Amino acid sequence: MSLKKFSELFGDLDSINSTNNKIEVLKNYFLSNDPIDNSWAIYLLTGKSNKRFISGRYLKNLFSQIYEYPQWLIDTCYLKVGDSAEVITLLLKNKTNSRKKKLSNISLNELLSETIPALSELNEEEKNLEIKNLWETLPEDNHLIFNKILTGTFRVGVSIGLITKSISKLINIEEEIISHRLMGDFKPSIDSYEFLINKNINLQELNSKPFPFLLANTIEDKIFKNSINDFQFEWKYDGIRMQLIKRSGNVSLWTRGQELVNESFPELVEKMSYIKDDFVLDGELLVWNFKEQIAFDFSLLQKRINRKSPNRTIQMKYPIIFIAYDLLEINEKDIREIKLENRRIKLEKYSSKWQIKTKNNISDIFKICDLIFPKDWPEALTYKEKSRENNTEGLIIKKKNSIYSSGRKKGIWWKYKVDPMQLDAVLIYAKGGSGRRAGLYTDYSFALWKDKELIKFASAYSGLTDIEIKELDKWIRKNTIEKFGPVRSLKPEMVFEISFEKIQISKRHKSGIAVRFPRITKWRKDKKINDADSLENAYELMKKIS
Amino acid sequence: MRTKQEYLIRYKDGSLYCKLADIWIDPSKPVKKALITHAHFDHFTFGCEEYISTKETAILLKERIGENIEIKTFEYGEEFKINGINISFHPSGHILGSSQIRFIFAEEKWLISGDFKLQKDQTCKQYEIVKTDYLISECTFGLPIFKWDESSKIANDISKWITNSPEKTSLLFCYSLGKAQRLLNEISQTNFKGNIYSHGSIHKMNNIYRDLGIDIKDTIKFESKKKIDELKGSLILLPPSLSKGSYLKNFKNIQTAFASGWMSIRALRKRSGYDKGFAISDHADWDGILEVVKKSEAKNVFFHHGDSEVLSKYLVEKESINILLFGK
Repeated sequence: MSLKKFSELFGDLDSINSTNNKIEVLKNYFLSNDPIDNSWAIYLLTGKSNKRFISGRYLKNLFSQIYEYPQWLIDTCYLKVGDSAEVITLLLKNKTNSRKKKLSNISLNELLSETIPALSELNEEEKNLEIKNLWETLPEDNHLIFNKILTGTFRVGVSIGLITKSISKLINIEEEIISHRLMGDFKPSIDSYEFLINKNINLQELNSKPFPFLLANTIEDKIFKNSINDFQFEWKYDGIRMQLIKRSGNVSLWTRGQELVNESFPELVEKMSYIKDDFVLDGELLVWNFKEQIAFDFSLLQKRINRKSPNRTIQMKYPIIFIAYDLLEINEKDIREIKLENRRIKLEKYSSKWQIKTKNNISDIFKICDLIFPKDWPEALTYKEKSRENNTEGLIIKKKNSIYSSGRKKGIWWKYKVDPMQLDAVLIYAKGGSGRRAGLYTDYSFALWKDKELIKFASAYSGLTDIEIKELDKWIRKNTIEKFGPVRSLKPEMVFEISFEKIQISKRHKSGIAVRFPRITKWRKDKKINDADSLENAYELMKKIS
Repeated sequence: MRTKQEYLIRYKDGSLYCKLADIWIDPSKPVKKALITHAHFDHFTFGCEEYISTKETAILLKERIGENIEIKTFEYGEEFKINGINISFHPSGHILGSSQIRFIFAEEKWLISGDFKLQKDQTCKQYEIVKTDYLISECTFGLPIFKWDESSKIANDISKWITNSPEKTSLLFCYSLGKAQRLLNEISQTNFKGNIYSHGSIHKMNNIYRDLGIDIKDTIKFESKKKIDELKGSLILLPPSLSKGSYLKNFKNIQTAFASGWMSIRALRKRSGYDKGFAISDHADWDGILEVVKKSEAKNVFFHHGDSEVLSKYLVEKESINILLFGK
């Protein structure tokens, strides 16, 4: 019923490891709270609200001002805690002993739909006063949630999947339906919650929403034992995965992140609406090089993603294409239960019909993906190795007789990615992590040799196990040469294998190169720093690829 | 200003040492004469020729080192002289028998806080405010993010944690000397009325506490061969060293928790690998340390164990207290 209840839910979810128990706790929460607060809880827990009302820095400054804490002290605390909202919550403890009446029964709805939005209408001074007032009137147990909502850092170990499962249990309806209802824009309201828990499944209401996406698994060796003829082969594009939906004449574009992105790609929406049939397509959106018929780099696509209502110039400069690789629904008929090979036949049939029969030409914005036909597995491997030439990431291998189910179900779709490029580099700087990694040195910078000097070439923070992180953290503390704020320069001694996806010339970096998605793939304790790679090796790698 | 060597007490080989009395405080290596603040393993070492402590600490030390050690005991507040220096023990509120140690020489007072807390704890004597000129204080939790809740609140949380999962066995990890007994004392005052088991190492300490007149709830000594069903809904206290490795494989259907001040930080809680963390500590929190510094009226303070730089800088800026840096 209240923020208090939600704070308790948060605490419970945060300290339960078992999925079944989490589902049980969620189910009970939904049972015992108002629909409107339930819908807000879902909104928060699924991370659909990442709106930041004020920044973590602002929050820290404000606390420093009100309670006369030196900024450096708050910053030091932050290094231990790793989350601004939590630092302030901990510091606020026993601080707000005012005699003000406590807002102990404020509902989530009131807080989120009135109190917090009202803050943005105040000027800075009023806003600060109001936040101070809220700190003093909200019970202490609710400070963490409040601060997290303010700073838009609401992340708990709860996935959409978990919410889906608990709602599904609550009303005894299959997960697919719930997952379908949860897709896309979930606006907290009594209606949206009641719709979610409605026991009658209404196709009309579900009209604009995408199907749950089917996801590919990383390839496993056992697949090579199967006949190559059991599979369909496609290039793995590095674009935005999307469902393109046209129902009752309306087109909607949904990303896998469940965002409706019609506004970013109006030219696609417009042209697809010329098609006579209704449909749901699964595919990839790319910025396309029409001359060479290959995709442009993902960085060009990034220029389009966050831009709403792009003008003509932008549309011409970064021309997009939707490459369809599956047909899930045609003229109101859900065909996900039909085998892939038959869906493919339908996809080809309809696509060519659309290309010919649609009044306006759609070939400059829509096509279906080409298939590859390797004779045997070694040839498939050769295709995979060549995938960089056409700017793809490898192959997607799909079982021909599979139906389109949801989630990352094993054995239906496989991704077979090009091996990453690798260099052995020397660890030279470390920086403290945040969140779960607070208090540990977890952000690392690596260098390559140039003559007798080590030049920084990449930063990475993923790839080590928790045990390795702790071990390295210990080593870092003992082998620091200098501290600059949160950064330590280190004795060059440790060598790591760094893998990355792309390497290109960059004038912005001292090393002259930039790599994409660098990550640590091995701690090369067997190597001395003289065994690490040089910048020259990096340049050669670049030549080999282009 | 005197140089480091001229201070009555200073750091030598990583431990506190008073040259004039030729006596060490909580030394980490065997020495001739050692004053011991309390009986946690990181505060004493085997093989000293002579130990000096409170009566309770002496009993615990004998349990941990052996009956044959040479040990002299004094009551809280009782002064004794070594080489013309007046020395006395004062309650520090950390665990049973724990003490602060005061030195008086030539009208100059020195106070070594030992490990201490101000919070209520029915298993040991309450911290005593002792006035001093020089204060050597621990600051394990010397950041303002550390502020403890009442221990009765934590005990209620623990009680709820157990009773909310009646189908599970609840394993609570905690230090076997001090923390375990304090928790038992507090938990016995909550609504939790189920069985409590203690690991052998904790059970032993419980008995000593009871012998010394401390009110500790009777617990069942935990034998690892117990049938799983019998343990449903009950609480088992275990030392933290057993949380890693194969020990836990003997159990089925458990939930685990760790009772420690560090558990107040979410990142540490998550990283610790326990299902739940209860933030309860036998050390002073930020406000506790500041209160002791103020009430001791010390004009010179030296901090060790913890974020001493932060606390030092804060006190210099805010309270204009002189902070000594001995160097270790």
